[in-house]
Amino acid sequence: MYDLVIIGGGPAGVGAGVYAARKKIKTLLIAEEFGGQSMFSLEIRNWIGTKVLTGLELAKMLEEQLFDYKDDIDVWKGDLVKKVAKKGKGFVITTKKGQKVETKTVLVCSGSRRRRLGVLGEDKLDGKGLAWCATCDAPMFKDKVVAIIGGGNAGLEAALTLDPYASKLYLIQRSDRLKGDAVTQDKVKGLKKMTVIFNALTQEILGDKFVSGLRYKDAKTGKEETLELGGVFVEIGSVPNVDFIKKLVDLDDWNEILVDHKTQQSSQPGIWAAGDVSDVLYKQNNISVGDAIKAVLNIFDYLHKNSF
Amino acid sequence: MKKVTIYSTPTCVYCKMAKDFFKENKVDYIEKDVSTDDKAREEMVDKSHQMGVPVIDIDGEMFVGFDRDALSKALEI
Repeated sequence: MYDLVIIGGGPAGVGAGVYAARKKIKTLLIAEEFGGQSMFSLEIRNWIGTKVLTGLELAKMLEEQLFDYKDDIDVWKGDLVKKVAKKGKGFVITTKKGQKVETKTVLVCSGSRRRRLGVLGEDKLDGKGLAWCATCDAPMFKDKVVAIIGGGNAGLEAALTLDPYASKLYLIQRSDRLKGDAVTQDKVKGLKKMTVIFNALTQEILGDKFVSGLRYKDAKTGKEETLELGGVFVEIGSVPNVDFIKKLVDLDDWNEILVDHKTQQSSQPGIWAAGDVSDVLYKQNNISVGDAIKAVLNIFDYLHKNSF
Repeated sequence: MKKVTIYSTPTCVYCKMAKDFFKENKVDYIEKDVSTDDKAREEMVDKSHQMGVPVIDIDGEMFVGFDRDALSKALEI
């Protein structure tokens, strides 16, 4: 039996892993990949201690630092936690590969994933002109008319990334104004190819083999409109990865794990959470690391105060 | 040895991960950069009906994205 299982390989999971190893807590870390959501960033300039690096470099650095402690921590890379269930005072964890492991405590650092539209055509056209990563796929949309759904920072940045390639850009925003940083908004407003459509609620992604358009409803008039398109990028935020644990812990309205912000403890004794999966107010790599370390130090105290 | 072609863009993280995976396992591959090579871009869409990179062609079998387990199986490594 482990003292602690850490779920996730982002900044929170790795920060926790390093501290748990140094504290000689008998720990297993389970991560599908290392790096977290910043892995797709081309340039990170706010990771404290390094002036500038790419997401992939951050991922490598995190993994290397964790494996530097390989004598003091077990790591299952390439597996994914499917279920956490209570067993006595501790927990039993089941993974995608069918492995089972018992532990006294759990630290959830599973982060979040992209929010999907939940409209007709989305599943059918996924990867067929409906895209999720402008950084990766922008060149595929050379000379095509492209719509970006979402007027937050990620949507605005996608517009800037697509501008050199697309023949025309639409930005589809559900409210009556853009969100995101003022600096980025100004840059986007300067794009000549760009038309912003406000109060537009996406109803359906159209197309047979490939995306051919998008149908939306005007939230004010109720009138439906159709755009002819060669591609659609979706940037409408994220949802926390809690499916494997949601029955055990209290969640807020956004499905984030509610934690005591002094200790990162959840409503379930023996389970802690840190990073984007928790109800932390600001989702930031540096904050995730700090919160995860806070959790490990509190877990260390908990293991000493309790008998199993 | 199986013939491996990867359709990629320079800024795609999963493409990089796939190439690292090939290098680690000493798999020879041909890389086609669809951000600059218009013909490769058309070829990729024709073959895979996909518009997202990476697309990996292993002896005519198409793999979309980077799936370590599926690639290992196909390459018998």
